Amino acid sequence: MDYGIEQRDRDDTIRLRGRLTFNDHAKLRALIGEMKQAKGQRQTLDLSSLEFVDSAGIGMLLIAREEMTAVNKTLVLRGAVGQVKRVLTVAQIGKLIPIED
Amino acid sequence: MSFDGAAPRTPAAGTASVDATANTVAVSHDLLSTWMGFADVQRRTLGVVQSELMRTSQHVEDATLDLSTRFRILAEKALEQSQRVADIIAIAGSVRIDDERVPMDQLVVGMQDMISDMVSNIVTLSRHAMSMVYLLDDVQKDVVELEKSIGDIDGINRQTNFLALNATIEASRAGEAGRTFAVVAQEVRHLSSSTAALAERMRSKVTAVVKGVRHGHEILREIANTDMSPQMLAKERVDKTMVSLVEQTNHFQSVLETAATVSAEMSSTIGRVITGMQFQDLTKQRIEAINDSLAVLCVGLSDLETQIRDQVPPDVGAREPQEWLNTLLSRFTLSEMRGRFVRKLLLEGTALDENGVLDVDASHSDSAGGDIELF
Repeated sequence: MDYGIEQRDRDDTIRLRGRLTFNDHAKLRALIGEMKQAKGQRQTLDLSSLEFVDSAGIGMLLIAREEMTAVNKTLVLRGAVGQVKRVLTVAQIGKLIPIED
Repeated sequence: MSFDGAAPRTPAAGTASVDATANTVAVSHDLLSTWMGFADVQRRTLGVVQSELMRTSQHVEDATLDLSTRFRILAEKALEQSQRVADIIAIAGSVRIDDERVPMDQLVVGMQDMISDMVSNIVTLSRHAMSMVYLLDDVQKDVVELEKSIGDIDGINRQTNFLALNATIEASRAGEAGRTFAVVAQEVRHLSSSTAALAERMRSKVTAVVKGVRHGHEILREIANTDMSPQMLAKERVDKTMVSLVEQTNHFQSVLETAATVSAEMSSTIGRVITGMQFQDLTKQRIEAINDSLAVLCVGLSDLETQIRDQVPPDVGAREPQEWLNTLLSRFTLSEMRGRFVRKLLLEGTALDENGVLDVDASHSDSAGGDIELF
């Protein structure tokens, strides 16, 4: 997995690409650190280019959400497709993290 | 001969003459002979017709009784069938679990909740596992720091030891004046070696901790690295299966309900058919009434025939009405019925009793010999 950040005044968008699995845990932790430091109050993860997420990836997204809440930021998931969308739906992640199309 | 009639008749040309004074009608022997032949055949024909009517009535009665019995059995079977279908309908929408009937929709909701809980547990476990992985990542970094600190203690200790050694050398050079200082230097050296032993013990323990933490970290990584997303996605399949199961059950139920309705309709239709079979009773009464009138005719005809025979000279015999008999017998296409008529009308008649040819003709004229005849 790799990612690119697009910053605006109060809204940062991070586009994740490829596969989000356990192997990316260090990389995602670094990203969470960046998001905590970022100016934007609203941190959006754009998942439209993410092809696959495993259960560890779901766990990491929930950790990201907790970390954002701890610093009064909002995490939003956007544009999930395919397997990623199915897993998010089945796991009912929408109850915990706002999901946008 | 003479004939006592209520009213004078118009004589047939050349066969009879009227004698007005004697109130009698002259009839030729030929005509009288013909009439007596007719009378004989008519009487016997009426007898055969009567027995045929009774036979037909009996036949209809037997067949109707047989049909009624069969229809009654059919009605009972239809009723049993609808009862069986009703039993199936009663249990079709539910399943037995631990001696308790659970409605299918309730079961489906229960199963879906169960799977949802399972998925939710997987999500929670994954999150906790990742939190632990991050915690142990940090612990490992701290442990490395600790190892480095112990190394630092060793360095400081070596330096202290070196300083104490130098102090001892300098103290011995100072002679008596440095004696006290030499004691202090010696103590510092002892302290240094104690510190070195402590550092060694710490290193040994820290190494054990590091080993444990690394091992735990490895195990945790393996746990967290086990992808459970396929198990989570199994919920989709289970949901679809459940929906399909409910649809199928509903379909079965509606088909069975239709079957139950049809069975009930069949049962009631058969009931009406059995009621309809009562026409036979009415038919039987009618046939009996007809037979009674035929019997009266028969008796009347017989009396008249006897009266006339008494008045006719013995040389005037009855003539068999051959042409009329042929016409009559040609009406019967049923071989067994024809057989009965032939026996009664022809073989009982003395004139033709010995003539077997007619009987042969009778069987020849029938093409079919079985129970079912062509009409």
